[in-house]
Amino acid sequence: MAFVPVADITLPVRTTATTIRSQDRARTTVKTASRRHIRVPAVVGHIVLIVVAFASIFPIYWMFATAFREPVDASAQTIFPWPLSLDSFTTVWQQIPILSMIGNTFVMALSVAACQLVIAILAAYGFSMWQFPGKNVLFLFFIGSWLVPFQVTMIPNYVLISQLGLLGTIAGVIVPNICSAFAVMLMRQHMQSFPRELIDAAHMDGRNSWGILLRVVLPNMRPALAALGIMLFIEAWNNYLWPALIFQHQSNALVQVGIRSFLGSEGDNWGAIMAASGLACLPIFLIYLFLQRYIVDGFVRSGLR
Amino acid sequence: MPISIRLAAVAVTAVAALALTGCVGGASAATSTGAAGSVATIPTLGPDQKVSITFESYNLAQAGAWTDTIQGLISTFESQHPNITVTGQAPATAAGANTSYISSVQTEMLAGNAPDVAQLTFDGLDYIANDMGAQPISQLVGEQAVQDAFGGQYPMNAKATKLGDWNGVTYGIPYVFSTPVLWYNATALADAGITHPDFSTWDGLEKVAQTLKAKTGTAPLTISCTVTGGDWCMQGIIKSNGGSIVSADHSTIEFGDDGSVGAVEEMRKLNDEGLLQNLDSASMYNAFASGKSLIQVQTSALQSMFMAGAKAGGWQLKNTTLPAFGTTPVAPTNSGSALFIMSKDPAKQAAAWEFIKFMTSPTAYEQISTKIGYLPLRDTMTEGDGPLAAWAKSNPLVAPNIAQLQKLQPWESYPGSNYSQISTIFSKAVEDSIYYGKDPKTTMQAAQQQAQALVK
Repeated sequence: MAFVPVADITLPVRTTATTIRSQDRARTTVKTASRRHIRVPAVVGHIVLIVVAFASIFPIYWMFATAFREPVDASAQTIFPWPLSLDSFTTVWQQIPILSMIGNTFVMALSVAACQLVIAILAAYGFSMWQFPGKNVLFLFFIGSWLVPFQVTMIPNYVLISQLGLLGTIAGVIVPNICSAFAVMLMRQHMQSFPRELIDAAHMDGRNSWGILLRVVLPNMRPALAALGIMLFIEAWNNYLWPALIFQHQSNALVQVGIRSFLGSEGDNWGAIMAASGLACLPIFLIYLFLQRYIVDGFVRSGLR
Repeated sequence: MPISIRLAAVAVTAVAALALTGCVGGASAATSTGAAGSVATIPTLGPDQKVSITFESYNLAQAGAWTDTIQGLISTFESQHPNITVTGQAPATAAGANTSYISSVQTEMLAGNAPDVAQLTFDGLDYIANDMGAQPISQLVGEQAVQDAFGGQYPMNAKATKLGDWNGVTYGIPYVFSTPVLWYNATALADAGITHPDFSTWDGLEKVAQTLKAKTGTAPLTISCTVTGGDWCMQGIIKSNGGSIVSADHSTIEFGDDGSVGAVEEMRKLNDEGLLQNLDSASMYNAFASGKSLIQVQTSALQSMFMAGAKAGGWQLKNTTLPAFGTTPVAPTNSGSALFIMSKDPAKQAAAWEFIKFMTSPTAYEQISTKIGYLPLRDTMTEGDGPLAAWAKSNPLVAPNIAQLQKLQPWESYPGSNYSQISTIFSKAVEDSIYYGKDPKTTMQAAQQQAQALVK
């Protein structure tokens, strides 16, 4: 009987040792495989990211490269601009009031973004926190206005702006863009996911709706507000068609109109176009540089849904 | 608390910016008000009668020589006519198409803000005269006054003077235009052993292109007339082959006739031989300027761009007139524009007429030709001891352009309010026939029928 257990023990020991070894091998294989499994996608992922980054950065590089070429070399295909020249920037400086244009565009984009953000916050609060008859229908109208192409409303807006005497003014660009259905929808989504318990607690503490919005909801939505604000600012900054329609005089126009003025039926001045475009990008670059943390927070931590 | 202060600051900033920006910009455009439309002879402005007019010009949409020259001319005019103030403005449009200049004025008219004088392209002449409300200048100021304006020490080219007429009435005073010329990279041709290219006929052009293709392995030729935006010069190619675009009474579309189809077939043949590059218009002129296309039929207005490209690329730019189909006379058409009076106010009309006379005077063409490079419609200024003789002598590239002025055929405007859609149909049929394998005859004839259905 004694041997049996020994035998029983021995065999299992051998079996166990074998199993352990095989398990080790298996683990090793799994580890190796998993390492391979991890490494291969990581490499591929990095390659994809590098390609995407290159595809994103290269046009910007090419814009500045063309801007710094000598004007007669503007259409040259060499990767590195040489000899370097500031002539295109000088042309821009001399032919259009670029500084005042950038300043006007900044005022316009800031005003549009601020107005859209304020209206979005107020409208979203109403849509997400209150119950009232026709709420869903009203919200659908908001969303519906987002789906109407700008070209459809362009002429009626132009006539209205003309009647208001705002043609050729920055206010003429701002007024029709004072509300963004996209911003309202986005803020509503954020506010709907806001914990109701906090709202109820604030109510119990005696806060009214303004107090809840300003002291409870908004402080907790700063990343999302920052991200949305920057998105709205950039969208306003990049708006082209409406400013081009509103401004017919360069003296007080936006930078979009200034860039366009180097394009024409009699030929395009690519060096000046790229120099003006490069200058127009600088404020956005600076904003991104200083607000990078908020932007990343807004998109990653809070998330734009 | 801090957030509320910040939000309040944002709100205040937004409201302040709105108010401020509204104040800073200010409304600028004058509106055309006053008497209803009249065809009576307009009054002469009194010496102390102050009038302000707006002048809408697509040249003012382009920075540099274009804007500077036109603004300079406006200043000169104002100094000569202290009682007239002219505000120059670019079209309210984002696009650069001809129709967008007309639609800009339409939009402004809708807003009650039409310019008093507008620079509009010839392709919309029928629409401008019959539907848009352009004023009949020869009835406003009298036929003799129009002829006097065309005349003078350096009279306007006889072919050019008729371009703004519709049914015997002058609606537009021809202002600036160009003709289609054949540009070529003389250095590349010389490298291929072609030192004296024969571009007098399309057959000659084909042989040169074949030689270049054999040497370089790539299609050397680009013809901007064959793609969208090239309607005006394709009309010239068609007319050069005996084809017709529109009937003489402007009632029938005719670009499906044998001459038109024959011209399109010739272009198709060049494409089938691999000699043509299929690019859009802007890509074409950029390709030529950068040396990627060696021969191009293109507007003469791009001379300065091509000169810059040639200088950058180290090659010699040359040009010549539009090729002929065998012995059939070449019929180059004009691009460009005329000046129209849109105002219905007699005082503004009188001021507008003074301004138009100045902008088409020898003084103006001296500036326009030397600074912008447009063809001087008063071509006698380039002859003898004329004010542009030295300029023409030092710019041999303008010679083909001036030579073609003597053979000029009008850029036909399609009849009715659908002129733009008809132009699109025409260009698409031409492109489909040349580049996309459609049969030229059936395609052009089908397009003609489709276009005719749009004539109202």
